[in-house]
Amino acid sequence: MELLLFNIFNGFIIGIFYALMALGLSMILGLNGIINFSHGGFLALGAYMAYSLAPAIGFWGALIVSPFLAGFVGLIVERVLIRPLYGRDPLFSLLLTFGLAMIMQDLIRTFWGATGLPFEVPNALTHPLSQVYFFITGYRVFLVALALLATASLFALLKFTRVGIRIRAGNADLEMVSALGINIYRLRAVNFSLGIFMAGLAGVLAAGRLGLTPTMGASLIMPSFVAIIVGGVGSLVGSLLGGIIIGVAAGITTTYYPAASDVVIYLIMAVVLIVRPRGLMGQEGLLE
Amino acid sequence: MSKVLEAENLHTFYGKSHILYGVSLEVNEGEVVALLGRNGAGKTTTLRSLMGLTPPRQGRIRLFGQAATGWAPHRIARFGVGYVPEGRRIFGHLTVADNLRVPAATQGRWTLDTIYALFPRLAQRRTSKGSRLSGGEQEMLAIARALLLNPRFLILDEPSQGLAPVIVEDVMKTVQGMRDEGIAVLLVEQNAWLALSIADRAYVIDDGRVVHEGPASELAADEERVRELAGAGGKQTQRR
Repeated sequence: MELLLFNIFNGFIIGIFYALMALGLSMILGLNGIINFSHGGFLALGAYMAYSLAPAIGFWGALIVSPFLAGFVGLIVERVLIRPLYGRDPLFSLLLTFGLAMIMQDLIRTFWGATGLPFEVPNALTHPLSQVYFFITGYRVFLVALALLATASLFALLKFTRVGIRIRAGNADLEMVSALGINIYRLRAVNFSLGIFMAGLAGVLAAGRLGLTPTMGASLIMPSFVAIIVGGVGSLVGSLLGGIIIGVAAGITTTYYPAASDVVIYLIMAVVLIVRPRGLMGQEGLLE
Repeated sequence: MSKVLEAENLHTFYGKSHILYGVSLEVNEGEVVALLGRNGAGKTTTLRSLMGLTPPRQGRIRLFGQAATGWAPHRIARFGVGYVPEGRRIFGHLTVADNLRVPAATQGRWTLDTIYALFPRLAQRRTSKGSRLSGGEQEMLAIARALLLNPRFLILDEPSQGLAPVIVEDVMKTVQGMRDEGIAVLLVEQNAWLALSIADRAYVIDDGRVVHEGPASELAADEERVRELAGAGGKQTQRR
């Protein structure tokens, strides 16, 4: 029983990383029309920047600053590399972001080395909160809380601010948004950067839980795409749910049949695609 | 009289197909101008060219006396051109209130309050999703959204499309109200009788070329021609 709970909780944490990734991916796919294969690269970048910043500004400082730095790098990448590809065949942006992912991975190897690095979490967060449920450490609870806070803030921004409302309007009809006086180049840049911010945040949180490797982002990105498909393309709530569901499902599988824990993600995707092709929360007709 | 719009020799393409062949038109201050023509004649393409949504490959556009050729749609909109597109294209998954927060913020007579005063029905339905509105309410929302830019020039594409005659009456009154506010209007309308009844001048476009221009009353007098433009059933909703 404890082992099951342990694995469910572990799966839930991994699911949160998937969900944070999937949220950003989903936003970028929605408004920018880009399938961002380099998303994992930005996650790793956020993590490594936090690693390098932590000695200077501490864990808490790095936790706050790194996602913003990642978002800023995202802004530059969008302006220089992505922007010329809007309105072109999606193949161009697929190839670009795929190549970018590899370049980012190798840059990280060059600057920080190919071997894994540990990321120190403050002592206050490392103690288990319970004798029986030893796996519930302060850091994991903190991680869940922060991810929830970030997600809630993102949803509030999209729901209540003008820029958020314009992003949602643009998901449906970007041309109309431009005809209403909105600079859609700027809107897309802001949106891309927001998505990368979420990846950067996921990166810092993942660093404290999983440690740092140049491929940390690459190993999270495929499940994140699966999360979007399971949750439904075009629905942020769906991406969130999809991430948690496949994370927890993989966790449960680990308890009973560890070898299948990777496969189960894709099995869930297959079942969802057969039973409900639009995904759990997807809009009708988007991919049907 | 100062010019709101001067478009000269517009050539517009969709990909490789040539749609507009040298369209020129003008709108003066305080005017309602109708742009008529059969389906596929190039009316919507003309409006999209003016808005910068499908930029012409050739030709010149001046807005309020200033060269505006090649401007991005948002710049044109902010310069004072409101656009109410064919099919209304409101944001169906957003509430009425959120739809009205999309347009760029501008200074002027039109604010949320004055808009809700003009369209009380939208105020009542401000928390409803756009997709839940009736066709008439959607048209009002599309006009309201454009008005929030405080335009000096309003472009309307088929505002009567799919609306009951009573509602069409309301929409046309609103358009006339705009003129009284000093907003120039360029109106594309399938229903030629309707358009001519409120327009000052009219252009007829066919196969991407302007084939007629003149006072609306003059064109309206040529009943056979209007019947041809209006298609079957146009006469039934003629206003008196």
